[in-house]
Amino acid sequence: MNILSFAIRNVKRNWHRTLVTTSAMGFAGMIMILYASLMEGLFQASERNAVAMDLGDIQIHAHGYRRDPDLYTRIADANHLVQSLQQAGLHATQRLYGFGLAAAGSSSAGVQLRGIDLKNETTVTQIHRHLMQGRWLDRSDPHGVVVGRKLARTLNVKVGDEVVIVSQATDGSMANDLYRVRGILKSVGEEIDRAGFFMIAPAFRELMVLPEGAHEITIMRPERSASLEAATTAVKTLAPRYEVMSWRELRPLIAAILGLADTHILFALLVTYVAVAMVVLNAMLMSVFERIHEFGVMKAIGFGPGQLTLLVYTETLIQVAAASVLALLGGLPLSGFFERHGIDLSAFVSSVSFAGIALDPVWQAYVTRRSVVMPIVALFVIAGIAVIYPAVKAAVIRPVKAIYYR
Amino acid sequence: MKPLNANEPPHEHIVRLEDVSKIYQQGKIQVRAVDNLSLDIDTGDFCALCGPSGSGKTTVLNLIGGLDVPTQGKVFLENQDLGDLNGAEIARIRRDRIGFVFQAYNLIPVMTAYENAEFVLKLQGRPERECRDRVMAILTEVGLAGLEHRRPDEMSGGQQQRVAIARAIVTQPAVVLADEPTANVDSATADSLLDLMQRLNREDGVTFLFSSHDQRVMDRARRLIRLRDGRLGSDEVRP
Repeated sequence: MNILSFAIRNVKRNWHRTLVTTSAMGFAGMIMILYASLMEGLFQASERNAVAMDLGDIQIHAHGYRRDPDLYTRIADANHLVQSLQQAGLHATQRLYGFGLAAAGSSSAGVQLRGIDLKNETTVTQIHRHLMQGRWLDRSDPHGVVVGRKLARTLNVKVGDEVVIVSQATDGSMANDLYRVRGILKSVGEEIDRAGFFMIAPAFRELMVLPEGAHEITIMRPERSASLEAATTAVKTLAPRYEVMSWRELRPLIAAILGLADTHILFALLVTYVAVAMVVLNAMLMSVFERIHEFGVMKAIGFGPGQLTLLVYTETLIQVAAASVLALLGGLPLSGFFERHGIDLSAFVSSVSFAGIALDPVWQAYVTRRSVVMPIVALFVIAGIAVIYPAVKAAVIRPVKAIYYR
Repeated sequence: MKPLNANEPPHEHIVRLEDVSKIYQQGKIQVRAVDNLSLDIDTGDFCALCGPSGSGKTTVLNLIGGLDVPTQGKVFLENQDLGDLNGAEIARIRRDRIGFVFQAYNLIPVMTAYENAEFVLKLQGRPERECRDRVMAILTEVGLAGLEHRRPDEMSGGQQQRVAIARAIVTQPAVVLADEPTANVDSATADSLLDLMQRLNREDGVTFLFSSHDQRVMDRARRLIRLRDGRLGSDEVRP
C-alpha cells in the first residue's frame, strides 16, 4: 500500500472531522475566491476608469504644459504626430483643453473644456460608452456637449438643457456660446465628474479661436499585454521634441496602489486563512494524538520518521485538495454571478471612489486566473505551514512510549 | 520458505545482553527495571521470559528490539552492538531483522490482513510480485487463507494475532519478540497460536522470544528464563 492510499483511508476513518475540516477550508476558500474576484473587479475598474476613460496609456504634451496648462502651449504638429503614431501601430488621438465658466439658469460652475477628436477618441478611450444619460458627441451636432456627473448636478441640468460657456479665446476676445447637453457621463474621476465639459474639436477650435495644434495627444497600446515601457520608448522616439509620459508616471499614486493589488489580496488571504490554519492545526493535532499508539507501532515495525511526516502531510493535502474543489465549486459560480450582476451600492452611497478614481456604484467582480489561483495556492501553503507541528510531533514519537500510550 | 538474507551465515547467539541495566525515573524515584542482566539467545530458540508483573520482561524485549536504550551495558543483535547505531540504523534493524508481536495485536486498523502483513515488505521496497507471493504463503501458513481482505475489526482476536504473527515473520527476521502474545485471547485460541509459533520455530527455524506469565507459554518453551526484580532468577533449558 502506498502512502497516498494509506492516507486516503486514514482521512476517511474519522469522516465527521474530515467533513468539518474540509468544509471549513472549502468555505474559506470559496469566500476568498469571491473576495479576490471582487478586489480584481475593483482594481480593474479603477485602472479602466483611470486609463481607458481618460488617461490612456501614454500622453504627449508640449514641454511645460503639464506644469502650467496654458492655452497657448500646444503641440504644433499634432495631426502629423497622430498619423505617425497610428502608422506605428498605436491608437492615438489629440485633445484640446481650455477653461471657462458654465452657466445654466441661476447656476454656474468653472469647467474644463475638452475638445475631442471624435474619430480617434473612440479608438483610445471608452468614455463614449460611459454615459449615464443621453448620447455621446456627434459631428452633426456641433453645439451638443457631454458633461460630467457632478457638474450636471451643480448646474442642475439634464439632457436637452442649454448651457452658456464664457471664456477667453486665444486672440484675446471674449469666447462665449450656447450649447445643449447631449449626454451626462457616469463617474469617471473627480476632475471629469466635477468639471468635464466635452465638445467636438471643431466646436472647441471655433469657440477658442484655435485653428491648429493640440494640447495633448493620448495614446493606447493596441494590446493590453504589450509592454507599456516599450511603447513609451517607441513614442518618445517618434516625438522627441515633446514630453512623453506613461500613465504610471502621470499618476504614480494610482499606479502604486494598483501595483499593490497582489499584496492587498495576499494580506487579506493571510488574515482569513489564519483561522483556517487553526482549524487544520487542531484537526491534525487531534488526528496525530489519537494515533500516537498506532504511530508508535508503525515506527516499531520499521516506519521511518520521514515516512510518518509524509503520511501526515499527505492526509492534510488530501483534505486541502478536497477543500479546493469545494472552494472552486462554490467560489466560481458565486464570483461569476457577481461578475454579471455586481453588488449595487447605490442605495448606500451616491458615489464610490477608490484611490481618487470614481467608480460605478455597482461593484462588479472580475474572475481572473489570479483571483482563483491565489486563494487556492494560499490555502495549500497555509495548511502546509499549519501541519508542520503535528507532522513533527508524529515524526519524533518514541515508539517505546507510544506503544504503551493509551 | 527461503530466508530473505540467505547469504548471511547464521549467528550462534542471535541476541546477547551484557550487564544491561535500565533505570527509569518516575518523579523523584528511580526504578531499576533491569538490573545487570546478561544473557544470550541462540538461533532457533523458542524461549520464554517469565516472571511476575514488574520483573522487567517487557523492558528486556524493548531493549532487544531497539525500542529503548539501556542505562548501562550492551545489547547485541547478530553481534551488532545496538548502542553503536543511530536512530535510522536501528529503525532499519527493526524493519529487517526483528519481528514484533504485541499483546494487543496492534494491527493498522485501516489495512486489511493482507496489507498489514505486506506493510513491512513494502517498507523494505520489495517488488510487488515478491510481496504478493510471500504474503499469501505466510497467510496460508498461519491459517488465514481466504481472510486476507478482512480488516482487523472484521476478525476475531485470535485471527488478528495470527495476522500480527504473519506480519512479524514475513520478512524472515532474525528474531521474533512476542510480548504477552496470548494474554488477550481465550485458551483454545492461545493453544492454537502457540501451535502455530511452535511449528514456525520447528519447521522454518524462526527464533521466538516471548515475555509471558501464561503457564501454557512456559510449558511449551524450550528455554525458560525467569526474571525477578530485573535480575536473572533462573535459566532453564529443556530437552
